Amino acid sequence: MFSIICYLKEFLRAEWIKKFLFAKTPPLVTPPHYRDFPQLTGKECSHELRCMMICPVPDAIKVLKGEDGKWRPVIYKGHCLRCGLCVEACPDNVLTSGRILEQNEIDRTSLLGTYHLVIDNKLCMKCGNCSVACPINKEIDPRLAHNATSSNDDVIMRIKNSKLTILHPEKCTGCKTCEETCPNRAIRVYRRVEAVQD
Amino acid sequence: MSIIQSIKNKVRQRSIHVCYVNVGSCNGCDIEILACLAPRYDIEQYGIYVHNNPREADILLITGAFTEQWEDKLKHLWDLIPEPKAAITIGNCPVSGCAYNRRGARIDPPVSKHIPVAANIPGCPPRPTEIIGTILELAPVVFKDYEEKKAKEAAETERKTKGAKK
Amino acid sequence: MKKVVDVSLPIGPVHPCFKEPARIKCETMGEKVLSAEVEMGYVKKGIEKIMVGRPWQEVMFLAERICGICSVIHNMVFIETVERISDIEVPIRAQYLRVIVNELDRMQSHLLANYSYCYTIEHETLAMYLINLRETVVDQLELITGARITCAYIIPGGVRFDLRDEDAETLKAALDKCEKDISRFVKIFEEGPLIALRSKDVGIITKEEIIASQAAGPTARASGVDFDHRLNHPTYQKLDFKPIVLNSCDNYARIMLRFKELFQSIELIRECLKRLEGLKGETIRGGGEVGEGEFTWTGEAPRGGLTYHVKTNRYGHVEEISVQTPSIMNMDACAHYMLKGADSAADITAVFISSDPCISCNER
Ligand code: SF4
Ligand code: SF4
Ligand code: SF4
Ligand code: SF4
Repeated sequence: MFSIICYLKEFLRAEWIKKFLFAKTPPLVTPPHYRDFPQLTGKECSHELRCMMICPVPDAIKVLKGEDGKWRPVIYKGHCLRCGLCVEACPDNVLTSGRILEQNEIDRTSLLGTYHLVIDNKLCMKCGNCSVACPINKEIDPRLAHNATSSNDDVIMRIKNSKLTILHPEKCTGCKTCEETCPNRAIRVYRRVEAVQD
Repeated sequence: MSIIQSIKNKVRQRSIHVCYVNVGSCNGCDIEILACLAPRYDIEQYGIYVHNNPREADILLITGAFTEQWEDKLKHLWDLIPEPKAAITIGNCPVSGCAYNRRGARIDPPVSKHIPVAANIPGCPPRPTEIIGTILELAPVVFKDYEEKKAKEAAETERKTKGAKK
Repeated sequence: MKKVVDVSLPIGPVHPCFKEPARIKCETMGEKVLSAEVEMGYVKKGIEKIMVGRPWQEVMFLAERICGICSVIHNMVFIETVERISDIEVPIRAQYLRVIVNELDRMQSHLLANYSYCYTIEHETLAMYLINLRETVVDQLELITGARITCAYIIPGGVRFDLRDEDAETLKAALDKCEKDISRFVKIFEEGPLIALRSKDVGIITKEEIIASQAAGPTARASGVDFDHRLNHPTYQKLDFKPIVLNSCDNYARIMLRFKELFQSIELIRECLKRLEGLKGETIRGGGEVGEGEFTWTGEAPRGGLTYHVKTNRYGHVEEISVQTPSIMNMDACAHYMLKGADSAADITAVFISSDPCISCNER
């Protein structure tokens, strides 16, 4: 009996009731070292597309031209998995996420990418779609048209003597446009990444 | 608004039963839901109970990229849940298929193709705080004045069918 | 003789006790389980198929997403395989950092496994303690790698980020807290009469049966099999790693073994931190491009041996890959040996969970 009264006394205290009904865990904050969706730092993007090339998921990041005519990466939520590789790969520090930028500066680490074009001559039917679609080709020789023959020797690839020849593989930015437009999957772009520290 | 309705609104906001179903996720999102149960986040203080029983659930949390096996089963599960109900998808998988969305994968995202989805929480996986926040934000919106809305809707469809008959 | 079956009892695919969809079909007589079969395929995505033709920076993320609970080990074994293919040297500091992250991941996985078990046998207090402690461990992972679960920390030739000095201090403090808390929980687990009732002498699997079913990891070690793939790992060899073995073969032993491995992981991390002090300023990435070759490599996941077989082409893109995860053997052992002859239908889920099945790993 006594104990019951004791309990009642304890539980009827306004303080206890308040605590019982309204206790909340303290508001939770996201720690600053959490790699969230990459944000823009405001630095100028030089349109090297390294972020797009390294992103491991489809459609997560695109570099688009803004209304002011400047290039800017756009992250698509629902696709981006917050891995932070784009932040590491960007040479101009346009993106930031968590502590990645800061830490990379301390460690002097970065990711380097190279691209390799491989043509399977058995599959290639010399249609020239790849050379026409390539955005770099278009910039170098705007007159490059449907049969993909070009008199310009600076293009990445062209059809010459009914053979697809690669002239300047080092100019390739690895965008895989050619791979996507090829009807036969005859051309393959290999993106090769190396993690370095100096 | 009737008094009963306002009481119902109040009660429904404070007592949300949750069922979660994995339709082909990597477990990352599932364990983040489990982490919400931890005293650190303490999902139950907001009146959210994770039951994992569709028959008493209000909110269905869906993780995963929708594999072929779930084709008919998810719809069935959704039908088991009593009204009012809402589905929230968790993570990138139900939205876009995440990293799996490549040629040849045996998945069929987005989930909203198969059942109506009220909200989604992007991230791979999202933080527990993001999950709790979204559930709390969504619940009052979905469950508010449910009966009144339904009555209105019924009247509307009745009018329409009558109109069609004429 | 014709079997007399009372009820064929299906459990799952959506069941309050399971984190993932699977179905156990049990033939029962009264309360006794005669035989059990695990039915799967609910989360099959075909990850290995989509890995083909991709470079490491994409396959690494797919590998991580085979299983979200033990993501670090998938990342680590895949990267170590491609490193061995292309003879990439890993700086010593990066090696120790890898061990730290891997052991932290193992800790959170074991805590989660024990949480699931305690939750299944309805000891919710201990379960909540354990999952709250897991948050502390996950916080440390987040501190080092920047993400809670899919860390993406290990890359060919090293690791993504270095460990800062102040973070090392935080990590040390967290380890002390974990050690203190886990010893308390172990005591609760050892002394709880309910736990003993539900765990001791339940779900027995003998050493011979383990060898027959090829079960791996803590499930095997709790039945006296003295093997751990970490013994073959060069960094663990430097750390003088010795596996822990228990001999009582039941649910209790499996959970206890995980608790003991938690202490072991804490010790390993401490040792690594001590060695890292002497390696300040060393590099964490050695560079190196992935080349052509073929290799098979096994690492110890929280659930047993995890094997990757990878073949790459000239540019380091994966041409062939196959993954073997431990859960498939563990689940097989569970269904065919542990569940058979279980005394009560209530034990089915407890026994199943005690072997820490991971269905995502299994089906990929
Ligand atoms: S964070 Fe990762 S997934 Fe997201 S856009 Fe950058 S590279 Fe792509
Ligand atoms: S990947 Fe193909 S389309 Fe893109 S820049 Fe290189 S050659 Fe041109
Ligand atoms: S698009 Fe394909 S088939 Fe056509 S020329 Fe290029 S590689 Fe050959
Ligand atoms: S969104 Fe990411 S963490 Fe969640 S299930 Fe999908 S792959 Fe796993």
